[in-house]
Amino acid sequence: MQLFIQSLITGILLGGVYAAYSAGFSLIFGVMGVVNIFHGELVMLGAFVTYWMFTLLKIDPFLTIPFSLVSMFVFGFLVQRYVINRVVEAPPMISYILTFGIHLIIAYSALWVWTADFRTVTTSYSGFNADIGGIIIPYARLATFGLALVVVAGLYILLHKSDVGRAIQATAQDKEVARLMGVKVHRIYAITFGIGAAITGVAGSLIATYFIIYPQMGLPYTIIAFCVVVLGGMGYIPGALWGGLALGIVQSLTATYFNSGLSGAFSFILLFIMLIVRPAGIVGKGIVE
Amino acid sequence: MTILEGKNVTKYFGALTAVNGVHFSVKRGEILGMIGPNGAGKSTLFNVIAGVYRPDQGEVVLNGKDISGWKPHRICRAGIAKTSQIVQPFTQMTVFENVLVGGLHGKGLPISGATKEAKEILEFVGLGGLVEMPSGSIPVPARRRLELARALATGAEVILLDENMAGLNPTEIEEVLKLLREIRKQGKTLIVVEHIMRAVMGISDRIIVLNYGEKIAEGTPSEVANNEKVIEAYLGAKICFA
Amino acid sequence: MNKKLAVLIAVAVVLVLLIVPNLGLTGYMVRLLAIIFLWIGKTGCWNIVAGYTGYIDFGAVGYFGIGSYVTALLMAKAQVPFLISILIGGIVSGLIAIPIGLPTLRLKGAYFGIATLAFAEAMKQIILEFDKTVGVNFFDGPHGITLPMGPGNLFFYYLGLVVMLAVVGITYWTERSKFGYGLRAIREAEHAAELSGVDTLKAKIEAYVLSAFFLGMIGGIEAYWLTYITPHMVFDVMITIQMVVMALLGGIGTLFGPVVGAAFLTIIYEVLHRDFQYTYAIIVGFIVVAVVLLMPKGIVGTLNMKLRTHRVKQAE
Repeated sequence: MQLFIQSLITGILLGGVYAAYSAGFSLIFGVMGVVNIFHGELVMLGAFVTYWMFTLLKIDPFLTIPFSLVSMFVFGFLVQRYVINRVVEAPPMISYILTFGIHLIIAYSALWVWTADFRTVTTSYSGFNADIGGIIIPYARLATFGLALVVVAGLYILLHKSDVGRAIQATAQDKEVARLMGVKVHRIYAITFGIGAAITGVAGSLIATYFIIYPQMGLPYTIIAFCVVVLGGMGYIPGALWGGLALGIVQSLTATYFNSGLSGAFSFILLFIMLIVRPAGIVGKGIVE
Repeated sequence: MTILEGKNVTKYFGALTAVNGVHFSVKRGEILGMIGPNGAGKSTLFNVIAGVYRPDQGEVVLNGKDISGWKPHRICRAGIAKTSQIVQPFTQMTVFENVLVGGLHGKGLPISGATKEAKEILEFVGLGGLVEMPSGSIPVPARRRLELARALATGAEVILLDENMAGLNPTEIEEVLKLLREIRKQGKTLIVVEHIMRAVMGISDRIIVLNYGEKIAEGTPSEVANNEKVIEAYLGAKICFA
Repeated sequence: MNKKLAVLIAVAVVLVLLIVPNLGLTGYMVRLLAIIFLWIGKTGCWNIVAGYTGYIDFGAVGYFGIGSYVTALLMAKAQVPFLISILIGGIVSGLIAIPIGLPTLRLKGAYFGIATLAFAEAMKQIILEFDKTVGVNFFDGPHGITLPMGPGNLFFYYLGLVVMLAVVGITYWTERSKFGYGLRAIREAEHAAELSGVDTLKAKIEAYVLSAFFLGMIGGIEAYWLTYITPHMVFDVMITIQMVVMALLGGIGTLFGPVVGAAFLTIIYEVLHRDFQYTYAIIVGFIVVAVVLLMPKGIVGTLNMKLRTHRVKQAE
């Protein structure tokens, strides 16, 4: 029984992490219809920003978060504004081939410059856990889970209560009408991408505190983001939480009761079934083309 | 002789009843007009007939056979072709190739036969000069003709025209009407949905009127034009003729 | 260019390729050409589905891998002769393509891509974990399978040539056939195609299964050539990626696009990968971005378009 609860809690915390870095993916797709294949690289870059700041400048990883937030926002904004923007109005096939090309460039450049070595960010307090009646809850993961909630809530508030957010929503729903109402659509796209990149980068920063990081770590994260967002509903931000939790729990339980390799297969089979049976996600609010 | 009938055709989209218990019947060689305000369910009804939607209740009967819920390609091969409101040419393919597809897959002809027919049909509808053009680059009225040509190529006996004349100027409309009359002379049956009253009234033998998914009137053009319910549906209030 | 001239050139090229190994081509060149032929074959298969139906498949390597494993298992554990093994490999791939294709080919665009990717990745994981989970000694999981020693590179050169000609030939036939017109109609306007009498589901499945069959056979051929396969090798997503990029560069949906793209990219790889491992991937990335932004129809596609515009201008 204790094993089950531990597995469940681990799954929930894992799900929180998944949700944290998948929300950006969902946002970008929801607003621009772009399936961002280099999404995982945004996680990786955020993680490396933290790593280098910690290793070279001795800054505490949690304090690097604002830097990673800002730098990733700028990066996302620029990439969208000058590259992706050209294909936003084209059929979706084009945009994901394009983002795939960008994935290759970023991932392999990072590999070249930083080498394939695995790296970790180990602080004096890494590995500290809360111990509640035998159930271990690592603080770092708890922090990331907290962040996931903050991100989703923050994004929700941003989208619904701010001017920028309303402009983003308007653009997502009908860009022609938004344009007529004075919204600078291409600017909104760039801002949205920047926001998506920023929150994903921050998730990457937190992940660096307890996962091994390396330049090619991106692709598996992209695939997981896909799974999470399909499960939760493409373009539906709170869905990232549901999808993340569902996936996290399934993976944790499979790893505990079967073996960890199979959890990968299970995730894909789950994804496959979801796409066929309920492409709009668990809660049914996703965008289905 | 009745070629196509709809009996109590009903289609729901969640809580919305788009088509509600519509009965209609079309005789072979007839031109039936279908009018009604926007959102009346005309396109939905067309989609049910063509197999894009399955009726939730009722049935569609072609030549005595119940075709309700058949897949669109099967209904096309059985004899019903539909043009779309928003024209959908096979953009990267030439005008000729567009029509060829209809002949190959709708009528089931071999390439040689379909080729010959495609050329004839294109001459017939007046697109003979544009045969090798990429269909994405031809002007809108030509694209409308192309939809029609493609439908003809499938060998369909019944052609559903969904706002095929929208956006055309009066001269172009006259030409299309002339073409439709030629098509009817060949023994085809047409159901025409249009908002351009002059056109529909001018060409139809009979007209049915839909509003909020229901058939509210049926008859000859003049009968329908003077029908109180029809006038109310379009103008929203009873007009006093005092 | 009239038909007779084109046929003459094609025959001449084939004859040259047939004789050339005997005219003193180095072992290295024979091997390189064989690799190019097989990439043309793989990309051509991918092109049949993606290029002609417009459904961008990100799981093509799944069928390649299935074919590899079926062939490897038959040859290593049951001593089945090579040609029969690859044939069965192709058939098994084709059969598996049916239950995978039926649900996924109803999905649109990005969803189809993700679903097929999930399929390929799941296949890899399944083969990796199967033995451990079920408790048998069948796939040998991560340890891989060793096949009997095969003949030298020359054998695979000619086999590759045959495969390439077969795939190009099938693509050629597809383009001109009723089947091909149906596929292209699906790519351009699937709904309108269905309304015009094209049985879209059947056509898509047929193209998908055809592609899977040949990919399976090619997978079997390469397994024999490699002599040793593991799930990571034959279910590697980079294989799908290369097929996509080669087709993109050459021109998706054209007959010679895969030929041009595969030749080009393989040569770049050969030139670069020795000195700079990662440079190849970075360059491929830039090629992808450049092609998408500047030349979305690929080399052959853009040429075709220029040719067509030229012809239309001449006719006016």
